[in-house]
Amino acid sequence: MRIRALAATSVLALTIMAPQAMAEVKFGALYPFSGPLALLGEESARGLEIAVDEINAAGGVQGEQVVLARGDAVDPNQAIGEARRLISLENVKAVFGTYSSSRSMAASQVAELSGIPYFELGAVADDITERGFTYVYRTNPTADSMAKLIVKMLVDKVAPALGKEPGDLRIGIIHEDSNYGTSVAGHQEDYGEEAGLNIVSVQGYPASIVDMSSIVLSLKEANVDVVLQTSYQNDSVLFLQQANEAGLKPAAIVGGGGGYSMMPTAEAVGTDLIEGVLDADFTQYAVNTDFTPGLEDFVAAYRDKYGSDPRSGHSLNNYVGAMAILQALDEADGLDPDAILKAVNAIDIENGTTAAGYGIKFGDGNQNERAFMMGMQWQGGKLVTVYPDDAAVAEMAITQ
Amino acid sequence: MIGRAASKEVGTGAKRRRPALAPMVLAALVAAVFIIPTVIDNPFVYHVFITICIFAGLSTAWNLVGGYAGQLSLGHMMFYGIGAYAGVILMNTGVSPWIGMLVGAAVAVVVAVIVSYPCFILRGPFFALATIALLEVFRVLALHFRDVTGGATGLMIQLRLGWEWMVFRDRLPALVIAFGLMLVCLFVGWLIRSRRLGFYLVATRERESAARAAGVPTVRVRLVAVAASAALTAMIGTYHAMYLTFIEPGAVFSLTMSIQIAMFALIGGIGTVFGPFLGALLLVPLTELVRGWLGAQALGLHGFVYGTVLVLAALFMPDGIMGLVARFKGTEGRPDDSTAPQAEAIAAEPRQPADTTEPTPQPATGAEIMRVDGLSKSFGGLRVIEHASFTLREGEILGLIGPNGAGKTTLFNMISGFMEPDQGDVAVRDRAGDWVRPKSPMEYAALGIGRTFQIVQPFAAMTVEENIMVGAFHRHGHVGDARAVARETAHKMGLGPYLDAEARGLTIGGLKRLEVARVMAMEPRVLLLDEVMAGINQTDVRRAIDLMLSIRDGGVSIIAIEHVMQAVMSLSDRVIVLNSGHIITEGPPREVVQDPEVIEAYLGKEFAHA
Amino acid sequence: MDTFLQVLVNGIMLGGLFTIVAIGLTLIFGIVKVINFAHGEFLMVGMYLAYLLTVGLGVHPYVTVVALAPALFVLGALAQRFIIQPLLAARDEHVQIFATVGLSTALINLALMVFGADIVNTPSSGLRTPLEIGPVRVLIGQICILVTAVVAVIGLQLFLGRTNTGRAIRAVAQNRTAAQLMGINANRMHILTFGIGTACVGVAAALVAPLYPTSPNIGTYFVLTAFVVVVLGGLGSIPGALLGAMVIGVVDAMSGFYIGSDLREAVVFGMFLVILILRPSGLLGSRSTLSHVSP
Repeated sequence: MRIRALAATSVLALTIMAPQAMAEVKFGALYPFSGPLALLGEESARGLEIAVDEINAAGGVQGEQVVLARGDAVDPNQAIGEARRLISLENVKAVFGTYSSSRSMAASQVAELSGIPYFELGAVADDITERGFTYVYRTNPTADSMAKLIVKMLVDKVAPALGKEPGDLRIGIIHEDSNYGTSVAGHQEDYGEEAGLNIVSVQGYPASIVDMSSIVLSLKEANVDVVLQTSYQNDSVLFLQQANEAGLKPAAIVGGGGGYSMMPTAEAVGTDLIEGVLDADFTQYAVNTDFTPGLEDFVAAYRDKYGSDPRSGHSLNNYVGAMAILQALDEADGLDPDAILKAVNAIDIENGTTAAGYGIKFGDGNQNERAFMMGMQWQGGKLVTVYPDDAAVAEMAITQ
Repeated sequence: MIGRAASKEVGTGAKRRRPALAPMVLAALVAAVFIIPTVIDNPFVYHVFITICIFAGLSTAWNLVGGYAGQLSLGHMMFYGIGAYAGVILMNTGVSPWIGMLVGAAVAVVVAVIVSYPCFILRGPFFALATIALLEVFRVLALHFRDVTGGATGLMIQLRLGWEWMVFRDRLPALVIAFGLMLVCLFVGWLIRSRRLGFYLVATRERESAARAAGVPTVRVRLVAVAASAALTAMIGTYHAMYLTFIEPGAVFSLTMSIQIAMFALIGGIGTVFGPFLGALLLVPLTELVRGWLGAQALGLHGFVYGTVLVLAALFMPDGIMGLVARFKGTEGRPDDSTAPQAEAIAAEPRQPADTTEPTPQPATGAEIMRVDGLSKSFGGLRVIEHASFTLREGEILGLIGPNGAGKTTLFNMISGFMEPDQGDVAVRDRAGDWVRPKSPMEYAALGIGRTFQIVQPFAAMTVEENIMVGAFHRHGHVGDARAVARETAHKMGLGPYLDAEARGLTIGGLKRLEVARVMAMEPRVLLLDEVMAGINQTDVRRAIDLMLSIRDGGVSIIAIEHVMQAVMSLSDRVIVLNSGHIITEGPPREVVQDPEVIEAYLGKEFAHA
Repeated sequence: MDTFLQVLVNGIMLGGLFTIVAIGLTLIFGIVKVINFAHGEFLMVGMYLAYLLTVGLGVHPYVTVVALAPALFVLGALAQRFIIQPLLAARDEHVQIFATVGLSTALINLALMVFGADIVNTPSSGLRTPLEIGPVRVLIGQICILVTAVVAVIGLQLFLGRTNTGRAIRAVAQNRTAAQLMGINANRMHILTFGIGTACVGVAAALVAPLYPTSPNIGTYFVLTAFVVVVLGGLGSIPGALLGAMVIGVVDAMSGFYIGSDLREAVVFGMFLVILILRPSGLLGSRSTLSHVSP
């Protein structure tokens, strides 16, 4: 048994003795790098990596080069394990992550109990910053912000363009039935009721669905004017195609991020079909750059590093959040958790001064109270920002 | 069928002749799971070992159903999910998860019994598919009833620290609970496997019909296994939910995880007590390390390696680690190739007084013990048995002969409860002297009626001794007693040298003797023998005749289907001749063979050859 | 009424889809008696191949079937020869299941490595054009799937019933030992059957790819449904697979519309469980195929 213990210790020692360079400060990058969420997990991590490159080029954090230790959060149990590994074996000063809400929930609780700051840059579940944690911060807008923006966009823009009162619009809500779709749809219902909208149908479905004809039919039966869909890629494509084929032609389709913000979705369904479809999501690239200074530099850096255009806005939003945090840490007095907290709490960035447009100031539950989503529309094969007006590069085009 | 190593596990501790190395190594490994993390004292190491405990526990619990009972459940996470939800829901109403754990276990047991009962008629892959479907149904329902489960948004526990709430800032208490749960699972696994229940489960898995003939309540033992497994799985589910602090339907009712825990058992050795533990001990840290090395390298590389390893493991070590261990341990407990063919030759000498070696049929003086009245059976339009009536007396040997297809085995099946007659009934006098009408094989067995099968039905993965013990358990509930009876019976049957050999290694003659030995170990009052002498050599026939006579002298009644005429003539007090489903005659052997009808139907040809 | 008709037609079209995917599994599961969890992944591989060929060569997606069917045949035959067959001797049939689960995991992740997690879309080449027939709409591609499914069912049924090879396959399925005594090479028949089963998946892939987005995980959705279809129809019964698929398709569409999309999986699997327990021989299976139920 002693031999075994020795062997185990030496194995662990081997893993601990990862190459160490001089004058480095290590942070954790905890994302789903494999498994079903790998695509956008990877995309999100790229934003963080670009932020780190930029900071390092400018001299690093407090004179030390930033190194990222990757953790693969394939599922919640794995997220916990990887968070523990990053914190206790890699000795990271803080953890950045996580894109997926359920992984974030699990991993951030580890950080909280260990007293290591955890910066959520992309997961949207409201609960993450509603637990009263001290060490968990979030820079990005939430599911709540998404639903709020969609409802506002319906009331402010869509209803007038159709020449109707908001209360006269018949609205169908469909969503994939995991945490993401369900919570956005729930908020859509709440804000919709508040705004006096007429919601006629709410339906969930599993994201792995291969046939949505029943849903399309029931929406057609319900005679909806507007469809709100919160979905991943596969189901966005299916819905748009099957709605078209079944002759369901609502006056507006509003997607909630996910599949609706992605170029492959447009390629899959064809630019004709997706023309005019609205979308609420993190800040994307076709946006008024006066409102999002630094966006072009980010895209250039992304192209340099990865040889393609960003695949979604996830990288941008992770980049903006990470930049704000890293810049604040540069100003901090040391990198122990308390110093980090102090520096981060002092962040006060105005709207319209970051590459994502939204400013950063942490409020209740350490949620960035200035974060908001933007409204986009597919026009001519591109996803252009149409709402709010400050950030818009094009007029919203609604045909009756 | 399953895990050759399975059998070797059984109560080996008790019968080892020398202090065994394996149990000490195992104990050391189990202890190491607790000691290593406490010595290294690093949160990540704690996490890895807590995960080992959780998966080892889950896998061990799964093994009760998937291994011992041989029912491949791929939906076991439904019980885990029930435990997780019970724990979290109750905790959020202010009830300690320790209570939640018990509630979850109770609910899981109820669910397990309700869903398993109908599913037990399903075999192999179909049971697996049914459990997958059940798991999916549970997941969808958990998503749907969001008032209770929180739906897709999941449920979070309130972070209350302390032993009462099972949530800790320190890692040690979490390990203590996880380790404790694992020990409970291992203990239950060991306990079941080394008691009658374990023998019954393995026997049922290997040959359900033979198990039923040996009086095993096959459905009940499997339900007990499923209930125990579900309770343990649910308890771990509750604890793991507290450890994760957050649950959602997709994560707790997960098919991937269901397959994973089954896989740990496969790699370690399905059906063995410690195999699942070894599987988890090996694979959990390996997965963590591989993920560390490969996870960030390329999308999917890690999963690709994982899947490939699984295929290779299935191809090259289908018996798991325990199988490898057994192979390296050498031939102990395994029939040696050089000795197996000699099995016939070393058959025990008949140990009877000299005067009984001569065939001396005694008049059947006992009272009636079985009455068969007007039995009829037809398959489709074909009448296989028509109005068969006869009686059997205590201490009588009744020969049942007839040409192939006469309906002998069908008749046997009806008088042992394996087949329901279309008409007529069978009455048996019980020990108290009352006449009862048994229906199922179990009821027949309970009345002391034991049968063999024409096509031998050994419990292939068990040793000879364990095979006989399954019969012995009928009268002797304790392992020690059953073992003693089994050994005695084995020696009587000339199986003494093969006690530790696996049944699958015996020759056909050995298997026939094993078949009889298993029934004899039940200490039956009536013995139904279906062609036990077919295909064995002359010397053995002689021995078998002596043996049957000695059994009869012990007060046991025998009905024997037999083609070996020498045996029939010398043994039987009375012979019944069956032809085309009809009893054409019955009487003392010498009279029967002179019956022209019999000669025409059957014996004529035989005698012509003789 | 029109809506009901539309739902019904949607269900039938879905049934066609399930038939074409499940028919290969009927052979593999129903006749070779191997539970192949990688069946869905064979479809996934086929769909990616269809995508590559269509985009790379600029041909109509249906043309790719000439390459897909042989390619998948080889893939299936190899899997049978080098993974399944060595395990036939294993005392534990569970080991086979684990091996195919491993194969499935490996293939999914291989696709993830090669193609990324992003979906790819095979050009639809006009197959997505809706046709209006009376009050209902269907896609040209869906009709093609349905027609091919029916043709494949008839073809396979004739092949198994009228040709010597087909009879040999059935003989091996019913009694391996007896068939071997008759001089049939059982191993070769199994490899052949498995290959034909996966070749059917190749045909399915060419038909399905232009209509549905391809992703590494697409197979996992289909595989459970395919098993449900095969068991429902009756083990090894080719017409049973068609009937089972139609029942599942219609139930899927009806429950999705009338009960709710979030519960339709529960309805489909619940129905599967009930049939498995109450009528284990399936809708068209005979009692003689009941090897999976204890006496």
